[in-house]
Amino acid sequence: MSFAAKSHVWDGTATIRLTGELAAKSAGQFNRVIADVSAQDPHRLVLLLDELTYLSSAGLRSLVYAHQRLGRGVEIVLVGAQPEVAETIRLTGFDRSVVMQEPTGA
Amino acid sequence: MPDRPASTARRTRTVLVVGERHTELSDALVEAGFDPVTADPVEIANDPDAVGRPDVALLAASLGLPRVALLSRLLREAGAAGVAVYADGDLGALETCVRAGFEYVAPPYSPVLLRSRLVSAWERGRLTTRGERLAADESRREYERDLFVAHELQAGFLPDALPQPPGWELAARCRPARMVSGDFYDGFELLDGRRLGFVVADVCDKGIGAGLFMALIRTLLRHSAEHTPASRVADGGPDLPPRLAFGAGPLVQAVVDTNRYLAANHLRQGYFATVFFGVLDPLSGGLVYINCGHNPPVVLRADGGTTTLPPTGPALGMLPDGEYRLGRVFLNPGDSLFVYTDGVVEAADARGDRFGTRAMLDALAPDRSARDLLDGVDDAVRRHVDGAEQSDDITTLGLRRLPAGPLR
Repeated sequence: MSFAAKSHVWDGTATIRLTGELAAKSAGQFNRVIADVSAQDPHRLVLLLDELTYLSSAGLRSLVYAHQRLGRGVEIVLVGAQPEVAETIRLTGFDRSVVMQEPTGA
Repeated sequence: MPDRPASTARRTRTVLVVGERHTELSDALVEAGFDPVTADPVEIANDPDAVGRPDVALLAASLGLPRVALLSRLLREAGAAGVAVYADGDLGALETCVRAGFEYVAPPYSPVLLRSRLVSAWERGRLTTRGERLAADESRREYERDLFVAHELQAGFLPDALPQPPGWELAARCRPARMVSGDFYDGFELLDGRRLGFVVADVCDKGIGAGLFMALIRTLLRHSAEHTPASRVADGGPDLPPRLAFGAGPLVQAVVDTNRYLAANHLRQGYFATVFFGVLDPLSGGLVYINCGHNPPVVLRADGGTTTLPPTGPALGMLPDGEYRLGRVFLNPGDSLFVYTDGVVEAADARGDRFGTRAMLDALAPDRSARDLLDGVDDAVRRHVDGAEQSDDITTLGLRRLPAGPLR
């Protein structure tokens, strides 16, 4: 149920691993991580979603907000979204603003 | 003096700065040996616990006393040891807060002075002055009044009665999770009553912010649809039979206009809305629709078969150049259409288990009145959540074509 977002920025790529449920209650926490990360001007944002169990519409809003905040030039890659989370993203058409990838390596 | 072990005195104290990122202040805080974190006031209002338990919270005076007092109370309740305001330009606002009893810091931000002020705010601990308390109480009362008024106003944005074309039933309901809802439905006649327009929409998020967007989106959609003449032929619909093309013009215009407006003016706020907008020809049963990223509505055939109507374009306000295709379906006598927002399938019980699409489909019994159709889903959702707090707005709409047969 609880949500966690761990980030690191290296060589212009910001990577954030999301765990738990991204919903109205946890959106603020994620927005803060995005604010910290965007202060370092990354040119690419990678979100590791394999441990994200739920994405509500308020949670999706914070992804859209991240997309706006980072600007058009920043590529956003969503990696390893679970089927229900991927469905929420596709349903609303947000998949057209980002790159969705299957998990690599692991 | 509070009892303070030596180890606590030496560890780095966290300072939560609430307001715009303030470089000069942050730098001085670091130099004074603090660990500053900046947070947005709206985030704190939404979830004061998420910021952890800062040793001192520094609130921007320019937020104004009512908001400063309310945030201060929320942060103290969430475990912040001390609260002070910082000057960020507006001297009058700072004076008002200081008169109410708030500790303050003001530029030039010298590390030595900052340290002394913040330690004093921290040592004062949980003691709040009478001025702070009065301001917070008054501010909370004001917000409660405003919310109440917003609730009443918003009710005025839902139609008093839905049109009922001969041979059809249209029913809808909306159950907000909070005082103000981000969901809405609408139903109205188009093209001199020859078409029935209906909408179900879900603005991402809930509460007052979503409510403001709800009012905007509802107005844009309806205004544009009602003011597009029938002569306006839908783009992308050259293969439509004339009967369907007739209603498609206002539909496409409304969706494209609203998306363009939202994307041009509100994209930065990250708000978007999933919308299902249908235009029905009551005589033929032909329905043209655009599904903007919305949960697929269910067509319930008289014989019990079901099909769904998946999105034909992205959510409104998400992509400035979003493309919207027209969908179409025929409703025969005895068929129904069920449109819903995600609050239905995501309704959770106390353990967090969600109602789900499967259970919703099971709750849809064919060949029932539009009202009974909605009751069936409502009852099943209520049984599932079993008294757990409602976490999202729930909206449902049922459209039914009466079965052919002897008129009663």
